Amino acid sequence: MLRFILRRLLQAIPTLLGVLTLTWFLFFGTASAESIARRNLSSKDPTPAQVQGWIKEHGYDQPPAVQLRKATVDMLMFKFGKSDATKEDIWTRIRQGAGPSIVVSSTIFIGTVFGAILVAVLAAAFRGTYIDKTTTIVCVLLMSVVYTVYVIGGQYFLSKQLRYGPIWGFDPSSGLIKYILVPSAIGFAAGIATEIRLYRTFLLDEINQDYVRTARAKGVSETRILAQHVLKNALIPIITNTVAVIPGLILGGLLLENFFGIPGLGSYLFEALGSNDFSVVRAMVFLGTLLYICGLIMTDIAYAIVDPRVRID
Amino acid sequence: MTLRIKVPVAITALAAAMAISNIGCTNNPYPAGESKRNVHYLNFGEDPKSLDPTFSFTTVESNVLDVITPSYFRYHYLQQNPVRLVLNLGAKEPQRTRTADGGEVWTFTVRKDLRFSNDVCFPDSKGRAITAADFIYAWKRMADPKIGYPLTGVFEDNVIGWKEYAAAFSQDRKGMADPNYDKPFPGVTADPSDPYTFSIHLKRPYPQLRFIMAMHHTTPQAREAVEHYNDEYARHPVGCGAYKLTSYTPKQRLVLERNENASPDLYPTEGDPGDREAGLLDDAGKQLPLTDTLVFDMVRESTSSWNLFLQGYLDETTLNANNFQQAMASNGMLSPKMQEMGIELRRAQQSAVYYILFNMKDPLWGGYTPEKRKLRQAVSLVLDSQEFIDLALQGNGTPAQWMLPAGIFGYDKDFKHPYRVVDIERAKKLIAEAGYPGGKDPKTGERIVMNIDCAAITAAARTQYGILKRQIERTGIKVEIRSTPGSIFRDKLIKGSHQSILYGWFADYPDPENFVFLLYGLNSGPGKPNYAYYVNPEYDKLFEKVRDMDDSPERLTLLNQMRDMAIEDSAWIPFYHPEVVTMSHSWVTNTKVHPIARDTLLYRKIDNNLRAQKQAEWNKPVWWPLFAFFSIAVAGAIPAIIVVKRRVNRKLRAGGGAS
Repeated sequence: MLRFILRRLLQAIPTLLGVLTLTWFLFFGTASAESIARRNLSSKDPTPAQVQGWIKEHGYDQPPAVQLRKATVDMLMFKFGKSDATKEDIWTRIRQGAGPSIVVSSTIFIGTVFGAILVAVLAAAFRGTYIDKTTTIVCVLLMSVVYTVYVIGGQYFLSKQLRYGPIWGFDPSSGLIKYILVPSAIGFAAGIATEIRLYRTFLLDEINQDYVRTARAKGVSETRILAQHVLKNALIPIITNTVAVIPGLILGGLLLENFFGIPGLGSYLFEALGSNDFSVVRAMVFLGTLLYICGLIMTDIAYAIVDPRVRID
Repeated sequence: MTLRIKVPVAITALAAAMAISNIGCTNNPYPAGESKRNVHYLNFGEDPKSLDPTFSFTTVESNVLDVITPSYFRYHYLQQNPVRLVLNLGAKEPQRTRTADGGEVWTFTVRKDLRFSNDVCFPDSKGRAITAADFIYAWKRMADPKIGYPLTGVFEDNVIGWKEYAAAFSQDRKGMADPNYDKPFPGVTADPSDPYTFSIHLKRPYPQLRFIMAMHHTTPQAREAVEHYNDEYARHPVGCGAYKLTSYTPKQRLVLERNENASPDLYPTEGDPGDREAGLLDDAGKQLPLTDTLVFDMVRESTSSWNLFLQGYLDETTLNANNFQQAMASNGMLSPKMQEMGIELRRAQQSAVYYILFNMKDPLWGGYTPEKRKLRQAVSLVLDSQEFIDLALQGNGTPAQWMLPAGIFGYDKDFKHPYRVVDIERAKKLIAEAGYPGGKDPKTGERIVMNIDCAAITAAARTQYGILKRQIERTGIKVEIRSTPGSIFRDKLIKGSHQSILYGWFADYPDPENFVFLLYGLNSGPGKPNYAYYVNPEYDKLFEKVRDMDDSPERLTLLNQMRDMAIEDSAWIPFYHPEVVTMSHSWVTNTKVHPIARDTLLYRKIDNNLRAQKQAEWNKPVWWPLFAFFSIAVAGAIPAIIVVKRRVNRKLRAGGGAS
C-alpha cells in the first residue's frame, strides 16, 4: 500500500509541472508583463521607471526559462511567495481562506451525501410507485437548472423574500449557522439531484442481485434487505465516488462564495483572476491540481478498504 | 419496524430543525445588537488595492484613507459653489516666494497640536507628536520610485532634486541595502529654527500645489509605522485623522473607530445658500466625527449590495443601471415603495468628463489637414449626447460642450461647441468635403470604417457602444466596435495602435490644468495620458503658461484660446459629464455630496434607534413556505407508506400461511 501511494505521488509531479507550465503560458500569452505591472501599480498612468521597477521587483524581467523554473519548481517546494497585487503572503491567505471554504463546502457535501442516500433508498424502496416517479421528475427538473440560477435565485428567495439568512457576510464570532444556512441550502439543492439519480442506480443494481433474491426467499423483511444488505453493498461505489471530492472541499465554491461574501478560497481565486494576479493564480491552480490528484489517490485507497475483493500493490 | 419509527423520527428531526432555524434564522449580517450602536454601515464593490497613503489613488481607497490621513488643506464640506480649500493640518496659508531663477518656494507651517493615533509601532503604543519632519518624510516616500506615487509625472521635472533623489533610492536598492531615508531631500527642506515649518522648492511656479497638499499623499507619515509594518503598511495606515483603522480583513471587512488622539475639529458653521433649509447646518459647531465607527463591508455583487440596502443593513449605496430601474418610477421620481421606506436619492455631477478621442497618428482618422479635421468634426456633429445619456445612462449625466465640468475655473455655462449640435446633413457635407462622399472611399467604393476600441464589454457597455455605432453610422460611415480584454486594450493605448475610444477623465483636483493637460504634446507617449497623441505646438505654448498661472481673467482668455484651437482640430469630442446617484435611508443625515472631497464621512450622522426599529420591521422571516413545503412532502409520502406496508404485511401473511 505504501509503495503504491509513493508511486502515485511521484507520478503526480510531472502532471503538476505540466499544469503549471501550461498556466504560465496561458497567462503570459494573453498579457504582457508590462500591462500586468500597470494594472497592479495604480489606476493612474505610472511612469516607465515605475513600471520597470515593478517588473524587476516581481521577477518578470528575467528570461522566460528562469521565470518558468520559478513558476514551477518553487510551487513544488510550496514556496508560494507574495501576491503581485497586494504583496500579501499567499500562504497566509490560503490558510485564512481554507476555513470558511471548508465550513460551507463540507456542510453542503455531508448534507448532499446523506440526503441523497436517504432519498435514493426511499426511491428504491418505493420503486415503481408514484414516489419513485415523482423523485425522478423532480431530480431531472433540478438537474436542468443552471448553477448560476440556483445562486442568484436562491439568494433572492431565501435571503431576500423569505429572510432566512443574510444576503452577504461571514463573521463566525456572531454565530456561524446564520451565515451558512442559505448558501448551504443552495449548494444542497443544486447538487443533490445528480447524486440521487446516481445512488438510486447503484441501489437498483444491487437489488437485482442473486443474494437479494436468496435473502427474500429466506424470509428477510424488505426493509431489512434494503437497510442491511443492499445499502451496504451499494455503499462501495458511493464511497469511492465521493472520496474524490473531499480534498476539493478546501477550495470551496467560486460563485457561491462570491455572491454571499464568504471569504474562502473560491472568492480568493475569483479576485486574483479579475486582477491579473499571476502569483496567486498559479498557487491556486497548483493547489487545485494537487488536491485533485490526492482525491484520485484517496479513491483508490478507499476502494481497497471498503471492497475486500480489491487489492492494490 | 424501521418504517414504523421513521415517522416519529422524521417529525422530531423536523421540529429540531425548526428550533435551530428559529434561533439562527435572521438575515442580519452583523452581530446581534450592533446596529443599535453609533455605527455607520457602508460597502465597497472592490477591495482597496493598498491603503499606503503614498500609493493609494482610487475613490474606494480615498473614502477610507481620507478620514485617517488628512492633509494640510481640505475642501470645505458645505461651501461647494465654487469648491474651496480650507486649512486642516496647516496652521496658516503657505507663503510663496519667487526665486531669482524663475522658480518658487512654498513654505508651510503645520499645527502644533497634532498626534498620531495610538499604535503598537510607537513606544508604549502611544501616538507621538507630529512635526514638519513627518511631512518631509511623506515627500521622500513620494519620490521613492519603489512605492509608486501616482502623480510622479507632475513633480519629477519640477521639484528640485527629485530625479536625483529617486535615482539614489534605486541605487541603494541595487546594493541590496535599505534605502537611505536620512539623506536630505533638496526639494523639500526643514527649517532648522522651527520644527513646524518646511519648504518645497520648485523649478517653476506650480499653483496647483495647494490641491496636492489637500490629497492624502502629502499627509504626515510616521517612519516608525512604515518600518514596523513594512509591506503590511499597505493594510495598516497610521495617521492623525478623526478615525483610525482598527481591523481590516482583506476582501471582507474594514472597521474604523474614532481616534482618541485626533485634534479638535468642528462641523462647519457656514454653507451654501439652501444648506440651512436642508438641515445641513443643524450640527454646526459640533465636534467631528459624528459617528463612532465606520464599517466598510466589501460586497462585490451589486445585486447583493442593493438588496442589503433595501433590507436596511447598508445605510447608503450608489446606484447602477440595474438598481436604478428598480428604484425609479416612470416619472423620474423615486418609486412609491422607496418613498414609503423614507429613502432619499441624490444626484451629483462629478468633476469628470467622458469623451471620444481619435488617435492623431492614425492614417485615416488622425492628421491635422483641413480634410482630416472635417472628418472628425462630422462625427462630432452626429453624436447625440442627450440621447446617449437618456438611453444608456438613465438620464444621469449632462451633455458636455468642452472638457471642463461645472465648478472648474474656465467652465462657461453659455458656451456652445460649434460641432456639438446634431446636424446630420452638415456632417454628410463635411465628409464629402473630406473626400469620402456618402461615407465611401472613392478609390475602392467601400464605406470607410471607424474602429472604436474598448475593453471587454459588459451588458451595460454593449448598450452604450450600440448607441454610438447607430448614431455615427447615420453619416454613411461604418463603425466597428473592437472589444478586447482590458490588458490588451491598455497595451493598445500605450503603443498608440488604437483608432478611437470612448474614455473618461476624473479630476484629481479642481483646476483646469488637470483637464487641459490631457492634450499637452509632451504628455503623449508610452504611458502618458494624452492618448489622442495630439501635438499642437501653439496649444502647448499656451498650456505651459496656463499651468503656471493663478486664476485670473488672463488665464481665462488663454484657456478659451486653447479650447477653440482644440475644437477646430477635434481630436477630442467632449461627450458628457457623468453624475453619481446615491441613496440613503431616513436615519442618515448630512449627506451632501462633494464633487472632489472624499472625507465627507466625517460629517455623517446616524439615528441608530430609528435604524434598529426599521430593520426589525422590514426583516421578519416568512415561515409559511417552509411549513408548506414540509407538509406537502410528508402528506405526499403517507399513501406510499401505506401501500408498501400493506405489501410487506401481505407477503408476511402469505409466508405464514405456507408454513
